[in-house]
Amino acid sequence: MFEKTIGFRIFFWVILLTIGLFVVFPIYWMINTSFKSPSELLEPTLFPLKPTLEHYWNVIQDKQLSVYFKNSMITAIISSLLATIVSAYAAYSFSKFRYRGRKTFMVLILISKMLPYAVLLISIYSIMRTYGLLDTHFSLIFAYITFTLPVGTWTLKSFFDEIPNELIESAKMDGASQFRILHKIVLPLVIPGMISVAVLGFVTGWNDLLYSLTLVTDPDKRTIAPGLVFRYLGEASSDYGGMMAASTLISLPSAILFLFVQRYFIRGLTSGAVKG
Amino acid sequence: MGLQTPRMRDKQLNIRQKKELTESQFGSLLAIPAMLIFAIVILYPFIKSVYYSFTNEKLLSNETSWVGLENYLNNISSNNFIDLLINTLVFVSITTFVPLVIAFAWSIVLVQGFKGESFLRTITLYCWVLPIASIGLLWKWIFDANHGFLNELLSKWGLISENINFLGNTTTAMMAVCVAMIWHSFPWMMAFLLGSLNSVPQEQIEAVRMDGGNNMSILRNVILPHMKPILFVIVILSLINRFQHFDLIWVMTEGGPAHSTTTFSIEVYKQAFQNFNVGQAAATGMIWVLSLSILIFVYMRRLKEDA
Repeated sequence: MFEKTIGFRIFFWVILLTIGLFVVFPIYWMINTSFKSPSELLEPTLFPLKPTLEHYWNVIQDKQLSVYFKNSMITAIISSLLATIVSAYAAYSFSKFRYRGRKTFMVLILISKMLPYAVLLISIYSIMRTYGLLDTHFSLIFAYITFTLPVGTWTLKSFFDEIPNELIESAKMDGASQFRILHKIVLPLVIPGMISVAVLGFVTGWNDLLYSLTLVTDPDKRTIAPGLVFRYLGEASSDYGGMMAASTLISLPSAILFLFVQRYFIRGLTSGAVKG
Repeated sequence: MGLQTPRMRDKQLNIRQKKELTESQFGSLLAIPAMLIFAIVILYPFIKSVYYSFTNEKLLSNETSWVGLENYLNNISSNNFIDLLINTLVFVSITTFVPLVIAFAWSIVLVQGFKGESFLRTITLYCWVLPIASIGLLWKWIFDANHGFLNELLSKWGLISENINFLGNTTTAMMAVCVAMIWHSFPWMMAFLLGSLNSVPQEQIEAVRMDGGNNMSILRNVILPHMKPILFVIVILSLINRFQHFDLIWVMTEGGPAHSTTTFSIEVYKQAFQNFNVGQAAATGMIWVLSLSILIFVYMRRLKEDA
């Protein structure tokens, strides 16, 4: 794409080194710290001279952190699956059907991101409190679906837009019901998009702090993000080794998921954006 | 098709009409789950918030009365309001445009395709996948006033004589938070940009090259125009997201020190869940929506002028 002029080469190497360092070093530092034995934690050595697994071991064995981890798994997985299905249905509806209110609703969903979530949280909090749903997985799952809905419907709609109407028409001619068309013919065609949305939904739910901090105060139901905050901004605020070990560990589910679906993910998100 | 009697034709029309009715019904039915969740989690709370903003609701006491514009006036006239506005604008613009430039440069480097490129790409995306709570803790540790890496590095290089309390200093706190946010933001921008860069039509590049164009003219005449739509999308998405953002700032500074990193979302949270002043918080929220709308409007207007 670019001619390898001297100017370009300089640009290439400068950017590679500076941004490369910017990206890699903090991650390296996190892992580095997590392996340092307590005595050398406060030394800025680039390499643990006495590496230890004790921080990881402490975190893994910690009963409370395991509970947090489990809660996050439940909420993130369920909300991600539900968000994908709900977004897919809505996107298909927007893409291939015409009915009153369709355009309005599309716009509303897209605009929802512009609304102050922290303010909406106030009312959600009081609704959940009224119905006794505070400190449940349900309240979080429900909220997380709305986080993913805008991007999910937008992405999937552009996938559905790509499907030629003739395909659907001919299936109708063959006597297939709408239900069958959707599930047996159309959905399989948008699997890359659905994978992207599912991964996004999972990461969103897994990472959330604001809602989980507010809607859940029972430590048994708490998720991992507020869990980490309570633990390491509180009494354990100088347990840097443990802090870094815990941080590394809780990134693993999203990271592993991402590794598997990286191909689909970038394709899924950008194909919609580039065309739309 | 053969001979069709008028009766047959009518019957066919009726069947098609019936099918179409059922079809649009089916379509709207599909959208109902989304509509329902949206109404409960977004629409109803929003309307309720607008109502709250005109009252002195405290969620604890049972008396709530209409106070008109008092909450709004309190907000605007408070000493902190200008700071709030500036903090939010600074945070939102720095964490939108700086990562965009970084992501763009990084994408240009990565698109060359060299050994280790996919490793770098994966690691970059890891920065985005890492939970915000972790990122906050990590950068808090890097910026730590006593033993943080940055301080150690700066003093080792002789650039400072005593440690800087990055997160405890009103002048440096916002920058520190922005750096962490930039680190987290530019990966997803890179993902979008890479996709777009990869689809730049090769023929156009050849054409410019044959006309004697150099790298800069390829950039200006082929690449940038091709990427304009995606750049637009990235900026809008980022502006909206950063306006919302709460988590990272909360973990790193809780809005401190002395409100220097308090943005709209932090302020709303504090008012609602620490002061329990729900009416006030709702009013702040409404001002927030207004500010964001104005920002987006101005941005889109500016774009139209450019085009």
